[in-house]
Amino acid sequence: MTTIPIEYYLVLSAFMFITGVIGVLIRRNAIIVFMCIELMLNSANLSLVTFSSYMGNSIGQVFVFFVMTVAAAEAAIGLAIIIALFRNKMTLNIDEVNIMKW
Amino acid sequence: MTQYIYLTVLLPLLGFIVNGIFGKKYFSEKISGIIGSGTIGASFLVALLSFIQVLGLPSEQRSIEVSLFNWFNIGNLNINVAYQVDQLSLIMALIVTGVGFIIHVYSIGYMHNDKGFARFFAYLNLFIFAMMNLILGSNFLILFLGWEGVGLCSYLLIGFWYDRKFEKSTTSDAAKKAFIVNRIGDFGFLIGLFLIYLTFGSLNFKEVFPAVNAMSNTTIFNLIALFLFIGATGKSAQIPLFVWLPDAMAGPTPVSALIHAATMVTAGVYMVARCSVIFASAPAIMTLVAVIGAVTAIFAATIGLVQTDIKKILAYSTISQLGYMFLAMGVGAFSAGIFHVMTHAFFKALLFLGAGSIIHAMHDKQDITNYGGLKKYMPATYKTFLIAALAISGIPPLSGFFSKDEILWNAFANGGVVLWLVGVVTSLMTAFYMFRLYYLTFEGKERFGHDAHPHESPKIMTIPLIILAVLSVIGGFVGIPAVFGGENSNLFEKWLEPVFADANRKLSFYNSYGHTTEILLMLVTVTGAVCSILLARFIYLKRISIADNLSRTFPKVYKILLNKYYVDEIYNTAVVNPIVKISDRFLWKITDNKLIDGLVNGTADVILLISGYIRKIQTGVTQIYALVMVLGIGLAIFWLILSIK
Amino acid sequence: MENLKTLVDSLYLLKPEIAISCVLVLVIIMDLIMDKNKTFLPYVALTGFIITAFLVVEQYFFKTSITQNLQKLLVIDAVGAFFKLIVILASCLIVYFSLISKEVKEAFDRHGEYYALICGMVIGMFFMISSADLIMIYLSLELVSLSSYVLAGFTKNSLRNSEASLKYFVFGAMSSGIMLFGISIIFGLTGTTNLLAVKSVMAAGGNSLTFLFASILIFAGIGYKISAAPFHFWTPDVYEGAPITITAYLSIASKAAGFALLIRFITLGYVQQIDASGAWQLVAGSIDWKKFFTVISILTMTLGNFAALWQDNIKRMLAYSSIAHAGYLLLGVVVLTNQGLSAVILYFIVYAIMNLGAFLVVMLIANKIGSEEIDDYKGLGYATPFLGVCMAIFLISLTGLPPTAGFIGKLYLFTALIEAKMIPLAVIAIINSVVSLYYYIRVLKHMFLTRPQNEDLVINTSFAEYVIVLVLAVPVILFGIYFTPIVNLAKNSVALFLQ
Repeated sequence: MTTIPIEYYLVLSAFMFITGVIGVLIRRNAIIVFMCIELMLNSANLSLVTFSSYMGNSIGQVFVFFVMTVAAAEAAIGLAIIIALFRNKMTLNIDEVNIMKW
Repeated sequence: MTQYIYLTVLLPLLGFIVNGIFGKKYFSEKISGIIGSGTIGASFLVALLSFIQVLGLPSEQRSIEVSLFNWFNIGNLNINVAYQVDQLSLIMALIVTGVGFIIHVYSIGYMHNDKGFARFFAYLNLFIFAMMNLILGSNFLILFLGWEGVGLCSYLLIGFWYDRKFEKSTTSDAAKKAFIVNRIGDFGFLIGLFLIYLTFGSLNFKEVFPAVNAMSNTTIFNLIALFLFIGATGKSAQIPLFVWLPDAMAGPTPVSALIHAATMVTAGVYMVARCSVIFASAPAIMTLVAVIGAVTAIFAATIGLVQTDIKKILAYSTISQLGYMFLAMGVGAFSAGIFHVMTHAFFKALLFLGAGSIIHAMHDKQDITNYGGLKKYMPATYKTFLIAALAISGIPPLSGFFSKDEILWNAFANGGVVLWLVGVVTSLMTAFYMFRLYYLTFEGKERFGHDAHPHESPKIMTIPLIILAVLSVIGGFVGIPAVFGGENSNLFEKWLEPVFADANRKLSFYNSYGHTTEILLMLVTVTGAVCSILLARFIYLKRISIADNLSRTFPKVYKILLNKYYVDEIYNTAVVNPIVKISDRFLWKITDNKLIDGLVNGTADVILLISGYIRKIQTGVTQIYALVMVLGIGLAIFWLILSIK
Repeated sequence: MENLKTLVDSLYLLKPEIAISCVLVLVIIMDLIMDKNKTFLPYVALTGFIITAFLVVEQYFFKTSITQNLQKLLVIDAVGAFFKLIVILASCLIVYFSLISKEVKEAFDRHGEYYALICGMVIGMFFMISSADLIMIYLSLELVSLSSYVLAGFTKNSLRNSEASLKYFVFGAMSSGIMLFGISIIFGLTGTTNLLAVKSVMAAGGNSLTFLFASILIFAGIGYKISAAPFHFWTPDVYEGAPITITAYLSIASKAAGFALLIRFITLGYVQQIDASGAWQLVAGSIDWKKFFTVISILTMTLGNFAALWQDNIKRMLAYSSIAHAGYLLLGVVVLTNQGLSAVILYFIVYAIMNLGAFLVVMLIANKIGSEEIDDYKGLGYATPFLGVCMAIFLISLTGLPPTAGFIGKLYLFTALIEAKMIPLAVIAIINSVVSLYYYIRVLKHMFLTRPQNEDLVINTSFAEYVIVLVLAVPVILFGIYFTPIVNLAKNSVALFLQ
């Protein structure tokens, strides 16, 4: 049985991260932006788990649990904020949220 | 009590803060007055207790430094907020808080019903705070802060009635004049301080003064002393910077008494006395000080002869007496000078407060030609005023006699006959114009209209007068000259001796004249003074026509004196107008308006323009923010790659 | 078992954190139990904060520089204790502000959550200040961020509030995501998350470009907390939109914790040793932090100051001003010396007082006239001389003119720069201060030199307001004149710093 080389995981992780960043930058819908942020966190999780597994070091996996908890809290808060915004403005388009500028 | 000496500084500050913040809204006149004078009274008590305690110490332990905290320590400039308790500062502290307290109490009556009552007391307290810093500070920086502080208070108080007219202009103009003229002196003083710091690397008294003894470079001392003295001429209204003091009379009369007679104007004298070692090391400047003092004394006295505004006469008399003090400093009679500061504080404050009482009674009219016969209406004012006039004229055994005599004697012994003669003539003139003022005011016919109803002032004003009168009578007995009481009778001089020991050693005068000469000179002065008084009585009580004839016979002299030698006009033509014109035509319209404004406004416009673009980055769209952030990280990584190579 | 024992033994080091956690729990429970009357909740929080403050003071005097006991996760030292003190004192004041703020009073009735979230932020910031491990850094940062996202949008029915909250959230989540990615790379390179261990691996030659790249990514997370350019964009919008008490809180406490974290991150992760003169020597081959921070601080203060020139909303202006101040504070970090660090600490004391003061006056005025537009400040100096004069004191201090404490703070920062021979940077900083004069004084001009719109407007100040304004205004003047104590405090805090 051949193991999958570490590079594969890392490339995937980097790809996920970049996808996440670009998604945050270009998507208009707030919910999709949030999902992209989750994507960024998960890419970090993936590389943490990968390193952890390859080095036989459990710290990385423990860290991932923490990150997952944080991500859950973040998602809850993010959705709450979106609901509050939607009630006030009746839109989910993030680029229309710009009454404060300059 | 000496370790609590800082209370004498802090209490007035407290009074200022409390009266300044809450006075107008929350306090009645009574409370404001009690806070204002109470804090000063408490300060006086602290000073008095400290004085008594120091009195009990042997003379070499009488100089105590009370350090509050280290203010800053940058490079080798180490400044403590520390107060110096020694013979000189205690005397000054007693004068300032004592006379200050009396004047504060008097002001409660004088300022009654004024809309700025609380503000007045706040300013007065602030003044005492600054003055105490000036006196007690144990380094030149604290002294300078006090120096500037009293200047500020003087400005605020001269312009206190900012909405009133004064002579041809307004009180604010008088205040501005005082401030600007003082600034010229302050500038000199500041240069002196820089020189001191450059020469000695310190600003603390206890490091600078001993260092002076160790150095023998006269040039630098001449320079330092000169600049310090320029500072003193500004604050103490000496030639050529005296012009502000007569105008300072625009302020309320208690202010004139406290600041422009008894305390602030003597700051210059105090400063010279404090730096006596430096001055003693600069013989040329000592002579200059003596000459300026003598000339100022006689110059101001001649002007005083013909003035008709009661406060103006007293103002010129103050300048003249300050000249006396500088004469004393210049001939090395430091303790005599300080002695005169003290007696002068008593009788001149009394004269001003008496004048205030009269002005109060005459409904703000100040021209003495419209007074006359006030004796029977205002008995207390009349008696105390008479005592003060006798004291300033140098009639024994009132206080003025002793201090003046000591100065004249020192001028004769150490300075020469000319200085003495100038002093004596000044003294005769002083006696003359003081009694001219006295007779025109209190004796003779009533020359005021029927609508005026002169009346004695309330007790709160007359009791301070009485206290000051008592002090004017007995104040001189602490300095009985050796010729009367033997070696140890001059307590005042003995008390101050350690402070001036270093300076006196440098000057090392030896007295070649005997007691007979001294008594003879004394007789000349006293007889002269009595004659002057009698002459004034004859002219202004019996033959008023003589005065008119005189002024008609010598119209030019009269006119020159009446117009104060046209000094203001000369300054206006020679200094003020050219500066105004240059400023107006060149500095303002070209340099300032075009060059500097152009530069500044241009820069400002460019900055505004740039910033107008910069803020546009902040588009309000979150994703743009994130984009810029990502680009920033990208740039940083790019820089990393470049720097690694 | 051995580990557990050392952990239990070292619990005393966490007294402040434990105390504040108890307060958090207490506030939540009381909020649940007491249905009707919740007015006492702020007092519970306030009492808890004050007790914590005493525990922090106790910690300040521990005299131990670094503590290995807590599984090397945390560092307890005087510098940390100092920043904790700033945080906890700011929290006390903010609770007090919230009590007198009309906005907080009117806009919602969920006091329990409000104070619980503040407690949460405090816990997060405490851990941020003492963390020595990348996991700890990430978790504490997130704890602070999550609480503040909610607080920024606490008045749900206001559009500005939700907008502030959303922007804060998106920006914050993104930068912490970037930071996390950086952390994962460092973990991969070194096999550890402890900063000291990371440093030793790096010093042994593992200092590759990838590693530096990861460091930059981690800095993104910290830079966003201290609002350094180009991570500052959220600041103006969030400050303007959030309730003013929270704005003030973010500008002081959150920034203090961020700076403490930055200093911790640099000193633990990159500084090889501190030499006798107090200069920090970086590990060979690490990022040239000096250059990096120089650029960042110039960018930060210039962007902050220049953008502030145009602002019409005073809260937004103060937001830009706080960005500029982050730039000034970075100057103390740029020099990488102990002297610079003590200058940062000194400046933080001053900055906390004057900035809180300015926000307080803005809040009190907004309470009365219901506006935060600078144009509405016309003639207010006459309607309320007391607040006007105090505002003048705070703004002059923010500009950095004597005789205020702001001048002393800047003086020591610039002295540190000049002694480190970084004179061009000092010149740029001074020019920036001059520019800042314009927008600070503009407010005063409106207050004192223009005619009031409503001549009869008289603003009364209650006793509680008087007291709190004076508590902030007096030290600004006092420390401007008598600054030896704070200078000594700053020097003493650094004396025991590291090694």
